Amino acid sequence: MTQKLIDAITEMNEAEALKLANELLDGGTPPLDVLDACRKAMEVIGERFEAGDCFVPELILAGEMMSQISEAIKPHLKQGEADQKLGKVVFGTVEGDIHDIAKDIVAFMLDINGFEVIDLGVDVPPKKFVDTVKATGATIVGLSGFLTLAYDPMKATVEALKEAGLDVKVMIGGGQVDENIREYTGADAYGKDAMAAVALAKQWAG
Amino acid sequence: MTSSKAPDADKPAEQLAAERNQRVADAVQLKQPDRVPLLLGMGYLLAEMGGITKQELYENPDKAQALLEEAALRFQPDALMGAWHTPGPSKALGDRMTKWPGYGLESNGSFQFNEREFMKAEDYDAFLEDPADWAIRVYLPRAFSKLEGLAMLPPLGMALFGYYNTLNFGVLSAPPVVEAFEAIGEAAKRTAEWGARMVASAQRLAALGFPPFTMLAGSLIEAPFDFMSDTLRGMRGVFLDMLRIPDKLLAAEAKVSRFLIRHAITNCKAVGVPYTFIPLHRGSDGFMSLKQFEKFYWPQLKDMILQLIDAGITPWVYYEGVWDERLAYLAELPKGKTAGSFQDSDIFKVKEVVGDTMCIMGGMPLSLLKPGTDPEKVRERTQRLCEEVGKGGGFVMTTNVMELEGCDPDLVDVWANATREYGVYT
Repeated sequence: MTQKLIDAITEMNEAEALKLANELLDGGTPPLDVLDACRKAMEVIGERFEAGDCFVPELILAGEMMSQISEAIKPHLKQGEADQKLGKVVFGTVEGDIHDIAKDIVAFMLDINGFEVIDLGVDVPPKKFVDTVKATGATIVGLSGFLTLAYDPMKATVEALKEAGLDVKVMIGGGQVDENIREYTGADAYGKDAMAAVALAKQWAG
Repeated sequence: MTSSKAPDADKPAEQLAAERNQRVADAVQLKQPDRVPLLLGMGYLLAEMGGITKQELYENPDKAQALLEEAALRFQPDALMGAWHTPGPSKALGDRMTKWPGYGLESNGSFQFNEREFMKAEDYDAFLEDPADWAIRVYLPRAFSKLEGLAMLPPLGMALFGYYNTLNFGVLSAPPVVEAFEAIGEAAKRTAEWGARMVASAQRLAALGFPPFTMLAGSLIEAPFDFMSDTLRGMRGVFLDMLRIPDKLLAAEAKVSRFLIRHAITNCKAVGVPYTFIPLHRGSDGFMSLKQFEKFYWPQLKDMILQLIDAGITPWVYYEGVWDERLAYLAELPKGKTAGSFQDSDIFKVKEVVGDTMCIMGGMPLSLLKPGTDPEKVRERTQRLCEEVGKGGGFVMTTNVMELEGCDPDLVDVWANATREYGVYT
């Protein structure tokens, strides 16, 4: 029956997916198995996204289904029961820029690929990135920016992280970012899309 | 500064203005001008060059005008634009969807759109039943803090009750309603002042030999899909609608198309400028599938463009993002009747596929004009653009984002000079 749940999610049958998830949980299926089925479904969607077989609308609806199913699972989870993460990524749109689309897509893809994403939102000052890395022990930082004005805050954030002596890898992306800009900002890498960001994170998480 | 004088800098202003105007007009009409025209959207580079904040650029129009004239004389473009619009009306209305330097942003922040879900999925029925009533009494109070009082108005259709409806006028004296009307009055005043400044600015530039660039002055509308997304449902909302309630979304698109097209035509006639600017947002590669594009985006946009063309208007479409997989659709448009600006599409492929269809604008990536770029790279890119995209005409050289914020003015010189050097048609 978990296969049916996987199919319902990947076929974008929202009502069916929710109904099946609830039936599984009520029928005594371990919540982590349901979560696992969700993750498998999200992997399929991620692969399709990468292959250009599904697009942003499907990612958004999949995210919606995931959060609804997660809510349904919560009451069934025992204390401390959670899944292992590959690593922690601090993510945000840099200071002065309030665009969140690219950031949300990348955060979503990192999340379904097994990373714990600490999303700082938009218009994030360099200090907040530094403080959050210190507080969480994250080893990867993702800086997003859509506007051309994002280059200087990106550069400032990379510098602030270096000055604080933090051992993190920094990726940048979004809008007009390219190799010229990566060089300008001093970031470790730039990702041209969400899958590039996931590949980088996996490589860095070793 | 290494700027050499433009080859025609010694001509009288009147002649220069006429030549520049012709150059742009020819390219837009898909003809071959005497050389590739250069359009500079100065944007916030004006503030950077003048050593003032972006806020001051808006608040000190005389200074802004002086900087614009300086830039015009230095770079000698065929067409130029200053900073986008003004925050005045947004401030007056308590606009919640834009942020400006000094309004929602620090004095050196850059104008940004703050997309929010002002319309909820459950609003579709009321929206479809009577969009104007929903707009005034539900939408405006949500989107503009100073217009919250409009929620108190009786249904707008009650105006049809003539004399009897005057019995309802008491509510018009309620303080929140009064405040809303005052805010609208203030925004109207600010808009009129801005319009007058634009006209005066154009006249002063014309006296210096720079013809008015009017392509933004006719009217501005959006593709029906983007209209439902940008200021109403937000991207997240509209994409969920596409999958959850497709019929309602399509019905809403059909409904808004009618007044968008009507507005564009009326406004172009009123100002006497036959151009409609249509910036596109969510139809580009990567956002939706081609199947979705064919159902929710392209037919509605194409119909809009065709109706505008029928009305004698030249639609100027900004193809934001990447359109590489969608260029074949653009080739369906009538030849020589539209202009297209391209942001991140492969501009050489654009020329190949739609070079016979529309005037192409763009080509210079903003990132190449950032401080630190080797000037030779700028010249090489300019040369290739002139030779390949400029081939046979129908090309306006400009940056991929049509403005110059954060660029190195010396590299802009290099680019402008190279355009005049390599852009000559023989």
